[in-house]
Amino acid sequence: MKKLGSEGAISPIWNWKITAVSFSLLIFVVFLAISFGPVPLEFQKIIRTLFGLPGGLTGQERTLLIDLRLPRALLAAIVGAALATSGAVYQTVFRNPLADPYLLGAAAGAGLGATIAITSAGADLYSLLPIFSFFGAILAVLVSFFISGKFFAEPNSLLLSGIAVGSFATAVQTYLQQRNSSSLRPVYSWILGELTVANWQKVIWSSIYIFIALTILITVSKQLDGLMLTDEESYSLGINPNRLRVIAVIAATLATATAVSASGLIGFVGIVVPHLVRGITHRVTNRGLLTIALVGASFLVLADLGARTLLSPAELPIGVITAFVGAPFFLVVLRKKRLVSQ
Amino acid sequence: MIKVEDLSVRFGQKEILKDINVEIEKNKWTCLVGPNGAGKTTFLKALLGSQSYSGSITDSGAEVYKNHDRNVAFVPQHPQIPIGMSVSEYVMLGRSKRDGWGNESKKSRALVADTLKQTGLFGMQNQFVSQLSGGEMQRALIARALVQEPTLILLDEPTSALDLHHQIAVLNNIELLKERGVTIVSTMHDITLAAMYAEKIVVMQEGKVLLSGTSDFVIHSPELQEAFENRISVFTLDSGRPVIVAKKDLSN
Repeated sequence: MKKLGSEGAISPIWNWKITAVSFSLLIFVVFLAISFGPVPLEFQKIIRTLFGLPGGLTGQERTLLIDLRLPRALLAAIVGAALATSGAVYQTVFRNPLADPYLLGAAAGAGLGATIAITSAGADLYSLLPIFSFFGAILAVLVSFFISGKFFAEPNSLLLSGIAVGSFATAVQTYLQQRNSSSLRPVYSWILGELTVANWQKVIWSSIYIFIALTILITVSKQLDGLMLTDEESYSLGINPNRLRVIAVIAATLATATAVSASGLIGFVGIVVPHLVRGITHRVTNRGLLTIALVGASFLVLADLGARTLLSPAELPIGVITAFVGAPFFLVVLRKKRLVSQ
Repeated sequence: MIKVEDLSVRFGQKEILKDINVEIEKNKWTCLVGPNGAGKTTFLKALLGSQSYSGSITDSGAEVYKNHDRNVAFVPQHPQIPIGMSVSEYVMLGRSKRDGWGNESKKSRALVADTLKQTGLFGMQNQFVSQLSGGEMQRALIARALVQEPTLILLDEPTSALDLHHQIAVLNNIELLKERGVTIVSTMHDITLAAMYAEKIVVMQEGKVLLSGTSDFVIHSPELQEAFENRISVFTLDSGRPVIVAKKDLSN
């Protein structure tokens, strides 16, 4: 991207070519993900199959593409977009570069919901796991909202009550796990994140909620920059900061809860991707939110490709891959933040 | 004309502003002075329309909190400094209301470049706002207010973090706004500077207005002494300019 400060001119704040490039990257990465694997699929045949042209894949290969790889890649893209966007929005709303989508208790709430589903009646409730974790996440965030009466005056109080609610939910979850030790393995595997059970039904319902949430967030994204200022400054620039914060947090929570219930807890995407995009573009403006969503989608599709091919035919939990990249990155951000504030 | 009638603001049980009645003239500089805790900042927020209040504040006949079309710039004493935002992005935020959020025009970019030159920040547009010194940050705030092309500018202690040279530079920049037909309301601890720049001074104490009037009239009034509990002395220089200083002996 062209940098600021060329002679006598101020460059545009956001260059939409970056968004176009990140969209192309996503298309490329999705094609990469659906063609790679223990059974490689020919690129041309994939195209022909997807567009319904003659000479496409047949039989098992077609099933592999349509029923396994494609829904899995799309689910990874949807979840990645949701987590990255929510992370970026939370970082702006809470004026904290280390905020992540699970901060308001969504992760712990979802974890508790999932544990209840796994431990209570076995197979019957396991199919309802996404619903349990979805409502667990929403409920935890609502309780955080309810406890923090001062949210409007001080966003950090919501953050603190989110941490308290999260700790409480985790404690209950641990208690339930201890009481039902046979559930440890499925709960553990869910906590590390999984896209192995992706299917079209899951892709469709999660894309509906996430599409609604992301549409809201991208619509208000330009105004979100105002939340980086004091409330009086943003008010003077034509924003109602309290209303905007509530809209942003609700939409980001909807996206997070849906992502968690579809794929378990996949950490670090919400921190790594926004900072990656900001670092490369030298821009913190939320006009880049759509780009963050697209890069988040590409990131998780790639991570999932790594998860299922690195130890093939065995699979690594996707959370391991994202944390492997994310944890060192997190430390770099921490260090940079300290340097900036010095 | 901004007309303030029976203005009161409460935070829970505490009454921050009590029955304030003041008129603020258009295209003039009005300065609020008074000790800490007098309610000056809350008064500015009420004038902005972001602070809920009882009573009435009308700007050109319309109640301020209802009128979202007003273009009012606000310069806080303690700004929130966005980590990772460049100076040009920061100043460009001032165009958001005019252009619509996220839609800065070519004209706006040219205006931002001109304003950065005018405030001595051109060449720093690449830097992060978090890396600016106190004086540079204050100038960035003023630059953002200038590109906003407001009808009213509210400044909370615009010179508090500045050395003498920068105080004058910033105040001169603010004064330029008057030539553009902008009404200025500021709070200021330094009453000497207030008397130098403002046409009108409003003296506040414990949420009330003790006195308001022309700078010259207010400076020499007993109410100013009362507001500061007789802990200030007023001198007049040979040039006729008043100088207000704190008394050294605080036991009086």
